[in-house]
Amino acid sequence: MSLLTVNAVTSGYGDMEILHGVSIEVGAGEIITVIGPNGAGKSTLMKTIFGLLTPTAGQITFAEEEITGLSPNLVVRRGMGYVPQVENIFPSLTVHENLEMGAFILTDDFSGQLEEIYELFPILKDRRKQRVGKMSGGERQMVAMGRALMLDPKLLMLDEPSAALAPNLAAMIFERIVAINASGVAILIVEQNAKESLKLSDRGYVLASGRNRFEDTGENLLANEDVGQLYLGG
Amino acid sequence: MDILSRIPQLLVYGVISGSILSLGGIGVSLTYSILGFSNFAYGDVMALGAYIALGLFTLFVSWSIPNIPLGPLSFGFGFILAAIFAIGLTAVAVVLIDRILFKRLRHYSSVILMMSSIGVALALRNILQFFWGPQPHYYIERIQIATVIPGLGIRIKPDQVFIVLVTIVLVVLVHAFLKYTKMGKAMRATADNNALARVTGINTNRVIVWTWVIGGALAATAGILAGIENKFITPELGWQMLLSIFAAVVLGGIGNPYGAIVGGMVIGIAEEVSTAFIPTGYKPAVAFIIMILMLLVKPTGLLGKRR
Repeated sequence: MSLLTVNAVTSGYGDMEILHGVSIEVGAGEIITVIGPNGAGKSTLMKTIFGLLTPTAGQITFAEEEITGLSPNLVVRRGMGYVPQVENIFPSLTVHENLEMGAFILTDDFSGQLEEIYELFPILKDRRKQRVGKMSGGERQMVAMGRALMLDPKLLMLDEPSAALAPNLAAMIFERIVAINASGVAILIVEQNAKESLKLSDRGYVLASGRNRFEDTGENLLANEDVGQLYLGG
Repeated sequence: MDILSRIPQLLVYGVISGSILSLGGIGVSLTYSILGFSNFAYGDVMALGAYIALGLFTLFVSWSIPNIPLGPLSFGFGFILAAIFAIGLTAVAVVLIDRILFKRLRHYSSVILMMSSIGVALALRNILQFFWGPQPHYYIERIQIATVIPGLGIRIKPDQVFIVLVTIVLVVLVHAFLKYTKMGKAMRATADNNALARVTGINTNRVIVWTWVIGGALAATAGILAGIENKFITPELGWQMLLSIFAAVVLGGIGNPYGAIVGGMVIGIAEEVSTAFIPTGYKPAVAFIIMILMLLVKPTGLLGKRR
């Protein structure tokens, strides 16, 4: 069953159209990776799904309800979490406060969810009183993911979660992504250097110049010579 | 009496005027960090608060609400009640100004918002002048005798102690609000990163309303305290202080309310102490020289962070 359906969506910034009719689908519990070169429209796609950009054509459906053009603070209530690529934390707030903000829309107790996140990223529990602005890139990424998980979303969207991280840290983040997925959360990842990400994905899409180019299982995309040469650095 | 022996007294005066500048500075800083523009109407909102308090106080006196001086203070219950209502009404007025004007301009650049705030400043000042005239109005006509602190030879009036105490209480309250309440944390989060705040589900419109409420309340308080200190108010009251407040905010680090407290105290003390050496009329110049030096040496301010 499809959780998220993006159907022929056209979007961009002002008059500058970046996506020229992109379609993707994420099933419940799946891990999906969208890859493509710089400027392919990957981040634009995520921003459009989350309502930060309004599509000029096409439909977006989430959990069987249309969410096309819905504003971000309403999309988040439908059960979608989003971790932008940059500026994805509140630097002057502590780890604990960042996570607390993730639960802003809840009026009831969220300590159970908080404990789950501290179990997922134990290092954050030790540093919960530290300001995130002073933490390393890997720790910031964990805070950013933790923040987006506070509402126990059905779908977590990650924009280049491993960008600018050392290989061992990137591997750790991917391992955590698999663990999050195992708890029943569907994952949509956008990646530029995507071999690691495709390995753990159920399916993948290749975007180029704002259009769908390839779509296949993660394994098949990795094995596909055209994809390899053009988008995975040979 | 030589110059140096006057300095302890001037430091005390500096703390008193620094208190009022700090309160104003916190408000300017909060508005800047969450709404992204320098609010030139802030000084005139201070004056608005001071005049609403005057109007209510006059009304209360006509209703025979007692205003017997509280202990050594020069004012009593009637005036304090008027001040509290004025602070609330100013907060409401500021939220209304946002609904009518700033909200509609929010998606334009911050320069547009800043320029329109100058318009609000002129409009408010002229409205006050229309109703009350340009002449000074006295809050309290009685003269209060300053107490001399034994040993130090410093003279201070009970009203001035009141001003400093009110400032301390409000600074602690604002700090507690920003640090411990959900809305306070959401305000800091929105100041940090507005787009992420929206993605997180924070209702940024509510954050903005709270920002105006707190900013308006602090402005009114600062205006009323300035009226108590000077004994009288004029429509120019806030505008004359605004530049010192901006200097305080820049000095402390724009967008950082804690920096505004430090900056307010430094500017207040520097302005007063300067009068030992140069004529009183140069006070604003002192604030500006400090601000320019700060911008040259460290543009992010004493407690500022890099953006």
